[in-house]
Amino acid sequence: MIITRKSLNRRTVLRGTGAVLALPVLEAMMPASSVAAEIADASRKRLHVIYTPNGMMMEHWTPAQAGEGYEMTPILKPLEAQKDKFVVISGLDHVQAEALGDGAGDHGRCCGSWLTGMHVKKTEGADLASGISMDQVVAKQFGEITQIPSLEMGLEPPSLVGSCDTGYSCAYTNTLSWSSASTPLPVTINPREVFERLFGEGDSLDAKSRLAQLKRQASILDFVADDAKRLSSRMSANDRKKLDEYMTSVRDIERRIQKMEKRGPDSAALPAYARPSGVPDDFQEHARMMIDLMVLAAQADLTRVNTLMLAREVSGRSYPDIGVPDAHHALSHHGNDPEKIAKLTKINTLHMEQIAYYVKRMSETKDGNRSLLDNSLLLAGASLADPNRHEHRNLPTIVAGGLIKGNRHLAAAKGTPMTNMMLSMMDTLGVHVEKLGDSTGRLEAFSA
Amino acid sequence: MVRRPQELPAGRALYMLGISRQAAFGASVVALAGLAIVFGQFGSASAEPTATKAQLAANTPATAPLVTDASAPTTSERKHMLMQYCTACHNDKAKTANMSVVPLNADNLPANLATWEKILRRLSVGEMPPRGMPRPPKEQITDFTNWLSTSLDKLGAAHPDPGRATLRRMNRAEYANAVRDLLALDVDFSKSLPVDDTGYGFDNIADILTVSPTLMDRYVNTAGKVSRLATGVTSEKAITTDFKFTKDLFENAFGVPSYNERANDDLPLDSRGGGSIKFYAPYDASYTVQIYLNSGSGTESEIDAFNRIETKVALKAGLRTIGVSFRKKLALEESLIPKTTTGERPKKPTGDPEQMPLDVQVDGARVATLMVPSFGNAPYFQQAFYLRDVMQISMVGPFDIKGAGDTPSRRKIFTCRPSSSLSENACATTILTNLAHHAYRRPVTKADISPLMKIYAEGRKDADFEHGIEASLEAILVSPSFLFMREMDPARAKPGLVHRISDTELATRLSFFLWSSLPDDELLAVAEKDQLHEPDVLKQQVGRMLKDPRSKALTDNFAGQWLYLRKLEYQRPDRRVFPDFDQRLRQAMLTETNMFFDNIVKDNRSVLDFLDADYTFLNQRLAEHYGIPGVYGTTFRKVQLDPVKRRGGLLNQASILTATSYNNRTSVVLRGKWILENILASPPPPPPPNVPALTDVKNGKLLTVREQMEMHRSNPVCASCHTKMDPFGFSLENYNAIGAWRVADAGKTLDVSAVLPDGTKFEGPKGLEDVLINRKEQFVEAFTERLMTYALSRGIEAYDMPAVRSVRYAAAKDDYRMQSIIMGIVQSIPFVMRRTPDT
Repeated sequence: MIITRKSLNRRTVLRGTGAVLALPVLEAMMPASSVAAEIADASRKRLHVIYTPNGMMMEHWTPAQAGEGYEMTPILKPLEAQKDKFVVISGLDHVQAEALGDGAGDHGRCCGSWLTGMHVKKTEGADLASGISMDQVVAKQFGEITQIPSLEMGLEPPSLVGSCDTGYSCAYTNTLSWSSASTPLPVTINPREVFERLFGEGDSLDAKSRLAQLKRQASILDFVADDAKRLSSRMSANDRKKLDEYMTSVRDIERRIQKMEKRGPDSAALPAYARPSGVPDDFQEHARMMIDLMVLAAQADLTRVNTLMLAREVSGRSYPDIGVPDAHHALSHHGNDPEKIAKLTKINTLHMEQIAYYVKRMSETKDGNRSLLDNSLLLAGASLADPNRHEHRNLPTIVAGGLIKGNRHLAAAKGTPMTNMMLSMMDTLGVHVEKLGDSTGRLEAFSA
Repeated sequence: MVRRPQELPAGRALYMLGISRQAAFGASVVALAGLAIVFGQFGSASAEPTATKAQLAANTPATAPLVTDASAPTTSERKHMLMQYCTACHNDKAKTANMSVVPLNADNLPANLATWEKILRRLSVGEMPPRGMPRPPKEQITDFTNWLSTSLDKLGAAHPDPGRATLRRMNRAEYANAVRDLLALDVDFSKSLPVDDTGYGFDNIADILTVSPTLMDRYVNTAGKVSRLATGVTSEKAITTDFKFTKDLFENAFGVPSYNERANDDLPLDSRGGGSIKFYAPYDASYTVQIYLNSGSGTESEIDAFNRIETKVALKAGLRTIGVSFRKKLALEESLIPKTTTGERPKKPTGDPEQMPLDVQVDGARVATLMVPSFGNAPYFQQAFYLRDVMQISMVGPFDIKGAGDTPSRRKIFTCRPSSSLSENACATTILTNLAHHAYRRPVTKADISPLMKIYAEGRKDADFEHGIEASLEAILVSPSFLFMREMDPARAKPGLVHRISDTELATRLSFFLWSSLPDDELLAVAEKDQLHEPDVLKQQVGRMLKDPRSKALTDNFAGQWLYLRKLEYQRPDRRVFPDFDQRLRQAMLTETNMFFDNIVKDNRSVLDFLDADYTFLNQRLAEHYGIPGVYGTTFRKVQLDPVKRRGGLLNQASILTATSYNNRTSVVLRGKWILENILASPPPPPPPNVPALTDVKNGKLLTVREQMEMHRSNPVCASCHTKMDPFGFSLENYNAIGAWRVADAGKTLDVSAVLPDGTKFEGPKGLEDVLINRKEQFVEAFTERLMTYALSRGIEAYDMPAVRSVRYAAAKDDYRMQSIIMGIVQSIPFVMRRTPDT
């Protein structure tokens, strides 16, 4: 990128031909870290998370053998064809989800701690307390470069009553992501809303209407920039500072539009995708639509951090289409009833089928000269092991993506905090932090 | 009054106090002797008389201070008084509460304005000197405060300082209202914008309202939505919009009660259950109304396709009210099943379900009746039987579009229609001039319009006339001239110059104060004729604006934050402790206080009604909660209260009592703090860190809240603040955590007596009312400060206090009526003037 000091007419720049243009580099426009990131655009990495609630039928999940060449278990069967793309990890604990003197409420605790490693505060009120979650730690860094810092998606509407699990506010089971110790991030379940958030108004993603939309936005922002200049001419220093905040934000959007226009015709074009009309009735259709949007968002580099809850924690959803008319949570307390266990396993397997769909879509979508999956890490699993006993140790976890070695069952040493594995995941993504929740170090075998 | 929290190193202060107490005692003995010689009085200064009601009344300062030269202390006597009674703690070494009176000069008030105002505040309310410390005689204090307030007011009149807020942007509520009034588009777009930060207790504070890239993104996004909806050129593709109802949900899956009453005022009188929504139909077309009934799934979401029925309706473009409801006459199985919190499940029905009518209304008229089974569980659900209710409505459409329709917003925007392609530009210019004029709240020039016309031309080229207008409207809605309230300093103004703001700037301040929205045609016209600042015109406009329905914004936004009503939505009373708390009650509490406030504004009642009213607004649900008989039906009405068991005034209203409680118990401290902050403008400093939780058991005995709070008094570090707060909270203990009356807690009869630091004794809510009425000047000043903060969109500073006091004095002549206070604020120096910055 050639950097000159010459001041260019913004209009010319925005209607550029698609070639890399020189821009006057103003400090306010590009923080240093993102300049370097822009240059190293090819190495952009993604973090995705797909969550299944109410634990897992562990006896049908955990492979008997550790290491490579393990035998596929019934619940993992949907992923058999993609065995080399993921690693099964066992032995990871979330001790902070245990009662530790707080009494009942394992679901509130397990969900609140899954990505945070914190022992969440037992409250049904507004004084929630958890800790920053792993996806938000990554979003803080990646979010500087992308239009949307992170996306939180779900398939089940959030619960609005006070308590979803004895003594714990529904806020704890409605979401996985916490941008700070007291700020849970709500999930969006309507695919249309996600589409609109990503791509604005417009019935579909065809290149012509996208570019027209971008052009329109560029003109409007041009206009407001000029208007702001006129406004600021007779302003005091303090007032001008306020207007500067506004101008910086306008320039931020202009920059993104310019990036998108640049990407327009020659780089990997986005597939034509119609704007979803609403929430589909069918679970699988809904799940696949959201996964398609995850892939699109990654492809368009609108965000690099994306989480999806296939259902809320303590979900009571039923799955009549696969012959399971009972509520999921009720089934998860199987009491060793073989019929309940069979149904629960069916639900778990259905969820893994959605993850298999994700792996398939990501690996067949191009990202530069590799695939999206090659440049990503997916964390998938549940925050409970055996749901019947609300087990918080040896949690069912897989990590998929080209950034780690697949085709193995990594049995972590007994008592390994899951947060250790998360630190290693973040290392792989290029996000280096000292600690997350109750972490005690890294999981060495992760990147082996 | 400066409202920044003060650092109070309480421990250190008291340590210093301990040492200097002895010194002070010694000094005071000497001082007393001196005083005795000067004033010829003898008596102990440290004895605190038990205050009688008469003494209470006498303790409060005169409303309009009368200072005769004969009684005014001389300068050296004033300084002497400060030295004698204040320097024990407020000296340069100890600097208790970060304040020393030593450098003060009674002849040079401006040098320490903030400190002098603090002194005036504390002496006027009798908080200083603190209990147990030597105190000068009442008359001496009164003389001093009279002199001080008069001098400060004279200073304020001679050198007015209106202060200055930085450039202010609209917050989300104001944006939504502005869009509503500019485009006649009554859709709530505030939810499309991120929540605004708050300062000084309000979300409209200029300094706090920043612009971030996220917000800018949302503005651009929202402007597009608004503009397309208003001009009528949205996508023609059918989409689904979901509207979920907040219904009472069960504890442990034991049944959703379907109340045998009308769910809201939009539904038929003889209906029960269901709900209504406001849906903006983008086109004259057909839409499908999908109705989700509860399914007894045992999960809280209850939304699934098995229990969904639908019907198609034809809608005209614009805002439509869609309602669905059952009928009040119930079949046998429908009789209310009492909610249980034990392990018992409601009985399962013995027979088959009956068919029940479910009515669908559009804008109040019934358009369809669907028959639904009186109970229904899909065969796979294993939970108990539920009474039927509607959980969600989804609108799908548009289908078979007939046209863009004649919506209010299209009528407002398209004030002309081009007769041919030749007259398009002229018509576009007319339309955009009109829109920009109102959006920017000032006359517009070619410099404003030609860039808009350029955008129009681009949009026109790609499509048609209407799309061109739509594009330029988007630009207007993102323009800084719309989003920011610009106030200009005069050209070449000297730094520190105090000047009157222009009439158009005054119109904007006025409309955002009273309506949280844009000035309307009449206000703008008066301002542009440069007549608004004339006293008669201003008074007339304020009166007109308060009568206008848009003044509801004052209730929603000012009262909603002053009275913590917004917090009420998030309160989650523990259903095991309060099984009767339901959505109806929550909504009723909120409505009572909203109507109460609104009535005080519209009827121009005295603001003292906030403390002590003999009326309130009730419906049946709330009246039952209060134990007031004879109020029937869901509609609210004004009710005269029984003089003995009164529930009048804010402090007896369940909304505030609930918002200042925890989920399962009352909080003496939260209530006391609320009163100190919002009624007496005397907020306590923040608590020290690491305060441990209350222990509710001692020696195996369950303690009452009062017993638990004893620790506040026994620990001197805690006592300094808690002796001020706790008494108010104790007197309200008869109200439980959801505002219902009780006489016992933890098995023991409640003790609702209280003592203030100055010795005032009172008991129960009635006693509290009396105490506060006796401090009515303090309350009125506190209220004026809060309202002024909201009006000026900045915190109140020491130099604003003369204006605050003058509002109070003027209102005193009119029984402290609300409109006098509002008028006083509108005419005050900080509201009509501005100071150019010093740099």
